[in-house]
Amino acid sequence: MNKKDNNPEKEELIRAKNLQEVFVIGGGFARSRLLAVDDVSFQVNKNEIFTLAGESGCGKTTVSKILLGFLEPTQGEVYYKNKFIGDLRKWEEKKEFMKEVQSIFQNPFETFNPLRKVDSYLCDTAKYFGMMKGKGDKKAIEEALQSVGLGMEEVEGRYPSEFSGGQLQRISIARALITKPSLLVADEPVSMVDASLRMSIVNLFKELRDNHGVSVLYITHDLATAYYVSDRIGIMFRGNIIEMGDVEEVLMNPKHPYTQMLKQSIPEADPKKKWIERVSITELETEEYMRKGCKFAGRCAFIMEKCKDHMPEEIFVDGRMVRCWLYGGEKKE
Amino acid sequence: MDILKTENLKSYYILEMGTEKKEVKAVNDVTIGIHEDEIYGIAGESGCGKSTFLKTICKLVEPPLRMVGGSIYYAVDGKYVDVAEVKEEEFRKLRWKYISYIPQGSMNALNPIIRVKESFKDFFTAHQKINDEKKDFEEPLKQHLSALGLPMRVLKSYPHQLSGGMRQRTTIALATILKPRIIVADEPTTALDVVAQRAVIQLLKDIQKLQKNTIILVTHDMAVHANITDRIGIMYAGMFVEEAKTEEIFENPLHPYTRFLIASLPKMGDKSYKPSVPGTPPSLSNLPPGCPFHPRCPYVMDICRKERPPLVETNTDHKSACFLSSKEGLQ
Repeated sequence: MNKKDNNPEKEELIRAKNLQEVFVIGGGFARSRLLAVDDVSFQVNKNEIFTLAGESGCGKTTVSKILLGFLEPTQGEVYYKNKFIGDLRKWEEKKEFMKEVQSIFQNPFETFNPLRKVDSYLCDTAKYFGMMKGKGDKKAIEEALQSVGLGMEEVEGRYPSEFSGGQLQRISIARALITKPSLLVADEPVSMVDASLRMSIVNLFKELRDNHGVSVLYITHDLATAYYVSDRIGIMFRGNIIEMGDVEEVLMNPKHPYTQMLKQSIPEADPKKKWIERVSITELETEEYMRKGCKFAGRCAFIMEKCKDHMPEEIFVDGRMVRCWLYGGEKKE
Repeated sequence: MDILKTENLKSYYILEMGTEKKEVKAVNDVTIGIHEDEIYGIAGESGCGKSTFLKTICKLVEPPLRMVGGSIYYAVDGKYVDVAEVKEEEFRKLRWKYISYIPQGSMNALNPIIRVKESFKDFFTAHQKINDEKKDFEEPLKQHLSALGLPMRVLKSYPHQLSGGMRQRTTIALATILKPRIIVADEPTTALDVVAQRAVIQLLKDIQKLQKNTIILVTHDMAVHANITDRIGIMYAGMFVEEAKTEEIFENPLHPYTRFLIASLPKMGDKSYKPSVPGTPPSLSNLPPGCPFHPRCPYVMDICRKERPPLVETNTDHKSACFLSSKEGLQ
């Protein structure tokens, strides 16, 4: 099965093609290149929640920054609705792209300036993107607030310190929704939100997908919520997507040894299922990035000779992509 | 015999802004006992007073935080010692040798400009006399690290060369080298990746098995609690609202707040709808009258708005602070 898209009826919204981002670390003779993101290709379809999951330092935030246009990729292209976003030269075109693709950040307490009232952020966005028809027209803002379960009267004239983390995160989602975007890029949106309110944010994404036709790129390290909320998932490891496919397939029946280890490492909220086996962790993070072959080779239980020198290519098996020599593929000489 | 117990413990942040005085009741009338040789977990959301409770029991109370009432007892050599009566110089001897505190974000506590071994030495010399460096310091250090399964290479590294998980494990090794009877760990796995988190939990479990001491573990992650703790106390708005064995808490939660907390946990292989707790947590400086959970509780009764339910034993070894499960509420 050598087919990239396993949902042909779904329409593609944004596509990343062979993204690469190089960071230079050190200086002088110690100068070296670090491939923070290497050969990353994926797409988010209309009406779908796509998750990029991985541990910290795997490059998932860098990918989101490239998609949002905050960072120029060293190589590779991003297409939005089949349009290459590097070609957006005119300000109007850029603004149109920003209107369609909105973002939500990790820490709601840092998103808002504590000295500014939160509704001023909502008004600014509405004004900037021309969502306000005439002075005092707050219809767009009210609609956005309603879709996150808040009302204008709860928000108007109040400072960020008067809200809880979950509420602030909902307001920041409402801000993103004002422009009626078709894609939300959410970088770790629940990691700073209390456990009891976490599900309200995640459920909100589901509702936005089902009732408002908004796609979400959900970036997280939490596989349990990723399983709960998303349709498809890509697992990242040290700059590569090493497994990608249907969330049910990838998480319930993982193929890549790293995905298998990651899944086993999630603590289950069930005291009857305590861990028994032991794990080993790396001491040096950059060491794995610098590896020539498969980046996981140092910890993999199934290591083979060719893993050490050759990065596995994208292999399509059982309706998913997996980068592992265990599942075939010819090494390039 | 409990190794540590508190009686009606109250500690507030007292903030004076001009003429206005504000009290943040971070620990509000807590009476609990922690057994010897167990891992006791404290769960609750951010801002519920978990960290303040830990600081208070470790006698790390500094203004604006003040201990305004109640008492804390440690069982030192089979006798209860009232912590408030121990002078600071005396207490310094207990610290790290009897009770050891691993604060939040401790993985950043290592001095960045000296090698890890020097940090260990600093720490060791402050608490123990070293006559012969090899025999009194290096040998026990190597023994300790190999018992915990940490590589010796760590000692020669600078902190920035180690990964987050390895740094966290190193600071835990540092905090336990004097074999304290009580280890207090505040969110030791937060900000770590899942694999590193698992390694840290593994390490804490090993230490407990090896040294037979008590670990008080605070985290908001219920999955971590399920994996490591023997008993759990649930904190809400500065109070303990439920306490029971870990299995019991997960299988038969009594307090409505705990029930919501357990029901909202996402699980792999289960896509059914998970609700979140309605409403928002109360402000600790302006608590609602009666039960602090009543504005969010779907089972609220008249009595809940007026009186605060006490933490009482409702089933065997299962305490809860709710009128639904206590006798007063049923009448």
